[in-house]
Amino acid sequence: MVDALTRATNVLTLLLESRRPLTFEQIAHSLAGQYEGSEQTQRAAFERDKDTLRSVGVPIDTEVLGGTDAGRTGYSVDRRRYELADLDLTDDERRALQSAVAAVHVSEGDVGILKLGGGASEHATVVANVPDVPGLAVLREASAARAEVTFTYKDKERRFHPYSLMLRDGYWYAIGHEVTVDGQRTYRVDRIEGDVQRGDDGVFVRPEGFDPRSAFPSDAMLIGGEEVVVARVRVDAARAAKAVIQLGPDAVEERGADGSVVIAVRCANVDAFRSWVFGMGLHAEVLSPPSIREAVVGWLREMVAPGGAR
Amino acid sequence: MSRRRGPRSTTDRLRRLLIMLPWIMERGTAPLSEMASTFGLSEAELVKDLELVACCGLPPFLDEMVDVFIDEGTVFVGIPRFFTRPLRLTAPEGFALLAAARVSIDLPGFDAGGPLARALRKLEAVLGSDALVVDEDRPAVTDDVVSAISAGERLRMRYRTGELGEVNEREVSPRLVFADRGNWYLIADDHLRGEERVFRIDRIDSIERTGEIDPPRAVAAPSGDDWFRDSDLPVVKVRLDDAATWVTERYPLRSCQDEGEHTLVGLTVADENWFDNLLLRLGRHAEVVEPADRAGRAREVAAALLERYERDEP
Repeated sequence: MVDALTRATNVLTLLLESRRPLTFEQIAHSLAGQYEGSEQTQRAAFERDKDTLRSVGVPIDTEVLGGTDAGRTGYSVDRRRYELADLDLTDDERRALQSAVAAVHVSEGDVGILKLGGGASEHATVVANVPDVPGLAVLREASAARAEVTFTYKDKERRFHPYSLMLRDGYWYAIGHEVTVDGQRTYRVDRIEGDVQRGDDGVFVRPEGFDPRSAFPSDAMLIGGEEVVVARVRVDAARAAKAVIQLGPDAVEERGADGSVVIAVRCANVDAFRSWVFGMGLHAEVLSPPSIREAVVGWLREMVAPGGAR
Repeated sequence: MSRRRGPRSTTDRLRRLLIMLPWIMERGTAPLSEMASTFGLSEAELVKDLELVACCGLPPFLDEMVDVFIDEGTVFVGIPRFFTRPLRLTAPEGFALLAAARVSIDLPGFDAGGPLARALRKLEAVLGSDALVVDEDRPAVTDDVVSAISAGERLRMRYRTGELGEVNEREVSPRLVFADRGNWYLIADDHLRGEERVFRIDRIDSIERTGEIDPPRAVAAPSGDDWFRDSDLPVVKVRLDDAATWVTERYPLRSCQDEGEHTLVGLTVADENWFDNLLLRLGRHAEVVEPADRAGRAREVAAALLERYERDEP
């Protein structure tokens, strides 16, 4: 029996070298006996080989043929799409990229560098662990192709035009335009539930001069939220300077003689807002709106109540 | 390519072959041992795959064949015919290369105007991406630490430690700097204790180069969560329910145990205020298990803050 690796390699060689699409019958005939058994068994084996080839990234095209093969499916591999485009890297550029892959741990980086003709990874003295999240590769490709993506975030289906991906404080964020609500949104990529589905290419234009750093919400309180409310928070002197740096001087509504400030915070995500306020511990107090102040007080009462915080 | 355990799948073998063939065709020849280690295979595995692929080609499988052979521990290419160019980059490979280059350009020791920047531009031209942005800060002292590692030079440093943030001075041979979830760490040989230690760079108050050069020692970068071993710092065991499991993604854990409905984690407490505030953020979704004298802490902190709200009731 022919090894599955041999057979898949032969199918690929045949498709790469053929000038026209080939049917299953033509492929099986050319491979002279490498597909064995009943026709059904042979077809099943061919399907598995196709899956194997596609799963390693081989672009197999299919089309319904005319002429003498009318109605049959033809298979082909476009060599231009199969082959890695020539990056024209110089030796020092390739070495620099190899050092980058050694320093930054992202899965599949070592495979990529081998494809570019580099060697095994070397030892690095500075290393960054970059979180590996399944949706990133699709989001990046969609962003480059200006393609719409759909995914689930906080239990809601999102239709999203990804303008940019940003790594900040060890997390990846997707920044762009949410189609359904017609507004700019930022999502933490590792919080996306399930797969990211890529739609048609070329459906959006990234705004001129778009800079994700300034588009990025000043803090997590605006990430993934819907309605924005403005909360007023008193921050004691001990934490005032840091909060003003974080939210900007325009957010300051009052300055107390004791160094405290009353600061206006745009908040779309109550969980993130509460987390931010509690990050200042005893040094911050929500003044308004009453609904958010009550939510904070309610949270604390639950902790203090018997059977609350333990 | 990383080494995998267990039997190799056809997919994995094919994937490697389509990278190995162009690699060897470009070189013409390579020692078997070097090629095996480059692609994370044993020599026996490599021989097996190369012998198989030497039987591949075009019908009638007589003269138009993949022309590779092995002789006396060396791999040779006859006439490079098929698979002379690598398979295109997959989406994850493209992402990995771009991300590695974008992150590295900002790391200490990399030159933003040098060959890496040029390589990145060439990658972007082919992969079509201007979409990745890296916005990571690091403590100012990081670059000096990296420069000391490059020089192999021993450092005297003032390091804040313990519950009260006391500062002590120690002598270390710095080996590796790494970043994880926005925090920066130094792995060094600590001469105070005579062992390898992990230090948080944001807790280093100052460093001074001693001029003493130590022989180099390669340290592998840690991955996963089991690396944080700054044993001066107290560890608190906290039981989390579902709404609090974000803690496991956000902070390095000393331990993590799945208990079904709950997760029991060991958190390193570098700063008591930080821990008090974390308890507030977790609310009733967390329970301090150990040490016992911290068990009531969450309630105490919540009560203190609640008092402020009740005093200021509008």
